[in-house]
Amino acid sequence: MDLLLDPGSPMRGHYEDLASNLLSVGNVRSIVVTNPEPGAGCTSVCLGLGAALAGMGYRAAVVDCNLDSPQVHRMLGEPNFVGLTSGLVGDKTLEHYGHEIVPGLLVVPTGPVLSDPAAKLDTEAFLATVRGLEESRDVVILDAPVAGRVLRSPNLSGGFDGILLVVHASRTSKRIARETTDDLIDAGVNLLGVVLNGCR
Amino acid sequence: MRSINRRSWRSEDRNDPSLSEVLYVLWERRPLIVGAVALLVLAAVAFGFMREPVYTAEAIVNVRPQQSLESDEEKTAFLEQVRGVVATDADFNREVMRRAGWETGAADFTERLDPEPYVAGDEAGLRVRFSGSEPGVAARAANAYAEHFVERVEQLNDERIAGGSLAAEASMVQRATPPERSNPRPLLYAVLAAGAGVLIGGAAALLLEGRARGWRDVRDVELTLRAPVLGVIPDYSSDGKEA
Repeated sequence: MDLLLDPGSPMRGHYEDLASNLLSVGNVRSIVVTNPEPGAGCTSVCLGLGAALAGMGYRAAVVDCNLDSPQVHRMLGEPNFVGLTSGLVGDKTLEHYGHEIVPGLLVVPTGPVLSDPAAKLDTEAFLATVRGLEESRDVVILDAPVAGRVLRSPNLSGGFDGILLVVHASRTSKRIARETTDDLIDAGVNLLGVVLNGCR
Repeated sequence: MRSINRRSWRSEDRNDPSLSEVLYVLWERRPLIVGAVALLVLAAVAFGFMREPVYTAEAIVNVRPQQSLESDEEKTAFLEQVRGVVATDADFNREVMRRAGWETGAADFTERLDPEPYVAGDEAGLRVRFSGSEPGVAARAANAYAEHFVERVEQLNDERIAGGSLAAEASMVQRATPPERSNPRPLLYAVLAAGAGVLIGGAAALLLEGRARGWRDVRDVELTLRAPVLGVIPDYSSDGKEA
């Protein structure tokens, strides 16, 4: 975890490059980060990118939208008692259901998921709650489920400013990654680009 | 890092692999292609050297009808008729084999012999080819057939005067000489095998690429996904496992 969050980490420069490239794309304040198949390291990229943005002086937030298989709280070694789902039913902003793990980086875990996680992602409340973070954060990063799930969710595929696709250098199938990219572009989503993770 | 033009990459035709993608894959998998070429070339060269060499010698006999024939079809039909009268009986072949010193059987001799009618302008006749394992044998057999053919035509002409039906003249216009080159030629086989190796190795490379899980570098990602790469994150973890 220190590798992702520590300003002196050898990975920081790579995440700062990614952050700079993303910011240079244009008016991008909410980014859905997804992968063609599980195991590409989406959560690591979200946290590393968020920490890099925070280190560059931006106020960033990472929201765990992977309700099927929450990862952010596990990586941080923290409980998952409150988070995104709490914000969907409560009347407070997500700022109240997350915490800053480094100065400038808010992390919001999924919170408890009791039933039908897919339906929660397709509500107006979800879109409004997450986009509400843009009032207090310069960039909101959504740690999303796999791309197939994103494509089936109108909110995730079209409700935010763009999609960032993460492929892992040794664990992501080329064929599946190609098909996923084609599907994303055919669906008309704003695919910002790709991150190659786990390069040796 | 973003070598793909952001304005145009979404509008690219994504259905077929691009030439640059194919060339990149072939180059990155060149050991496989080189291996396939080397394997096939070695097999072809070994085949070429192990197989018995075949030398083909050719003699040419000119055959002229005594009456005028206009079309090539008529000339060809006439040549077939002459060959049918002169050279189809067993005695003819036995005499040719005797003159050629052939002792390994009539069937093998007939299989190696190829007398083919030809018409070239005013000229018409037979190209007598014989394929043997030694150059001298091939030339001797082709010449034996051609010489005996000419003799038989003359003999039948003499008999015509005495009541026969053949009306043609024949002469040897080119004697067969022992050929210097043989078939199969290992070099030719090697070139063909190299071409086949490139095709097979290339096809295997493209097939393997489609099933691969490993990405080499940014260029690999951009060519495969045809989307810009915004970041490359090295693997600093000790076990390589991430969420």
